[in-house]
Amino acid sequence: MCDYYFDGKGKAFRPMIVVLMARACNIHHNNSREVQASQRSVAIIAEMIHTASLVHDDVIDDANSRRGKMTVNQIWGERKAVLAGDFILSAASVALARIGNTTIISVLSQVIEDLVRGEFLQLGSKENENERFAHYLEKTFKKTASLIANSCKAVSILGCPDPEVHEIAYQYGKNVGIAFQLIDDVLDFTSCADQLGKPAAADLKLGLATGPVLFACQQFPEMNAMIMRRFSLPGDVERAQQYVLQSDGVQQTTYLAQRYCHEAMKEISKLRPSPERDALIQLTETVLTRDK
Amino acid sequence: MCPLVLLRWGGCCSRLLPPPPPGLWSARGGGGGGVRWRRGLFSGFPSAASHWSKVVSEAEKIVGYPTSFMSLRCLLSDELSNIAMQVRKLVGTKHPLLNTARGLVYDSRNNLQMRGLVVLLISKAAGPSNGADLSFQHDMVSGIYSSQRSLAEITELIHTAFLVHRGIVNIGELKSCDGLLKDMQFGNKIAVLSGDFLLANACTSLAQLQNTKVVELISSAIGDLVQGIYYDNSNLSEENCLTHDIGISTWKEQIFLSHSALLAKSCQAAMELAKHDAEIQDMAFQYGKNMSMSHKVCFSLLDTLNEFICIYP
Repeated sequence: MCDYYFDGKGKAFRPMIVVLMARACNIHHNNSREVQASQRSVAIIAEMIHTASLVHDDVIDDANSRRGKMTVNQIWGERKAVLAGDFILSAASVALARIGNTTIISVLSQVIEDLVRGEFLQLGSKENENERFAHYLEKTFKKTASLIANSCKAVSILGCPDPEVHEIAYQYGKNVGIAFQLIDDVLDFTSCADQLGKPAAADLKLGLATGPVLFACQQFPEMNAMIMRRFSLPGDVERAQQYVLQSDGVQQTTYLAQRYCHEAMKEISKLRPSPERDALIQLTETVLTRDK
Repeated sequence: MCPLVLLRWGGCCSRLLPPPPPGLWSARGGGGGGVRWRRGLFSGFPSAASHWSKVVSEAEKIVGYPTSFMSLRCLLSDELSNIAMQVRKLVGTKHPLLNTARGLVYDSRNNLQMRGLVVLLISKAAGPSNGADLSFQHDMVSGIYSSQRSLAEITELIHTAFLVHRGIVNIGELKSCDGLLKDMQFGNKIAVLSGDFLLANACTSLAQLQNTKVVELISSAIGDLVQGIYYDNSNLSEENCLTHDIGISTWKEQIFLSHSALLAKSCQAAMELAKHDAEIQDMAFQYGKNMSMSHKVCFSLLDTLNEFICIYP
């Protein structure tokens, strides 16, 4: 069960960023292109934490497909799926402890807490329109960006003693992470299920108002009522989809993602030039143009 | 810690949940999980039950404060009211999470939180190590380091998290008599989230201990718990009942994983926090292991006797 998602079919986006960041920081510090064993460990741990959260999320959302195949809970049942998620998490914690660095343990444990709090944020909702966007961004940070930001920070701590570099790594990870999620939310509207590997309009069906919806609501205030009842009435999901596609919600969200990517690029450019640093810059563009 | 918030939570739950019927145990395995009402080791033997309560309150005095609401301490946050609100929606459904919540609220007086207490006691019993310097010892309150108290809480957090996670139902196996699909899905959602919340708190508290050996020990205990529960589930499932024949040593191994590893490793970790040597750590491990194994074996025995009595009144 635990092996099921570690079959290489995922994008492995997070570990890739982490390893690139590790190299970029090492080069910045002492021109070494080597990745330390502990940094490699962090990359693995990041992907494990991510996978554990996916397994639990699929139970919570009662999802039946992910990464182009059936979910763990669909095949083996919810009880085993939850246990599998817990097991992956415990394995990640053991690996984390074996790195032997208490700072790194603190940084990555924060991620686990943020992931859970992010889920809780998603459960609740804000009545006030103005608060909604801030709530959405906070949830996005906790659920997606925190892992990337903190893993980048962790490898930078392992590779370089300069706290400014740690901050650069963290900011890069945070901005890329938020942009990544924003585009994910856009793809939920613009892509079809086959391409994505998971069902489309999934967020609406879960009652979630994401970036495109919130922007569309500014043009079509009639959406407010639907948002507040979390698209629970029959026909709500389809109507919301229509509103979003008629409005410029998608474009606005994409533009916002671009701004975050730009910020990430600015940060990472402060590091010493290297192929890895350039790769990280290019990654920010890939985030914007991906289709799954 | 503000007891008022906890009382309010407890009060809110107790208004909604009918009290458990007096007397015997809940039905075994009903609904796929949830905690059994534990009224001490010797329920049905009134003098022994009150003896147990006395022993526990003496123990609590020794360690300096009652341990009853230990794992709920971390829930003094928005998430607490969120969880309580969501659990309310489950009233009237058959989701096992309701049983678990009921057990947590009602049995707190009857010492459900035994593990934390044992960790505290063993910490105090071992005292400071010979190698520890005086400045380190200043951190002690009632003879226990604050890190050890934290560890006791972490142990309870993990135990409670898995109680909650055990109460998840398989959607695919539901029958129409089990109630609405929506209720079960909702219950599952809250169970997963609450369990994860407790585990996440355990992880961050572990990180704050700033001791990688302890983090490794306790994380491996979580892995052991998962494996143990997995075996538990396999043994309970229908097809295995008649044909599955595991030997005593396999059974003991599985019991160790699901019921013992957590306490054993926590006791060991408590010694590590006080910088005791490997010999003392091993002794603490053995104590925790044997204590929890005997507890489980006793329960199994009483369960079997109980069933026996029901069949042959």
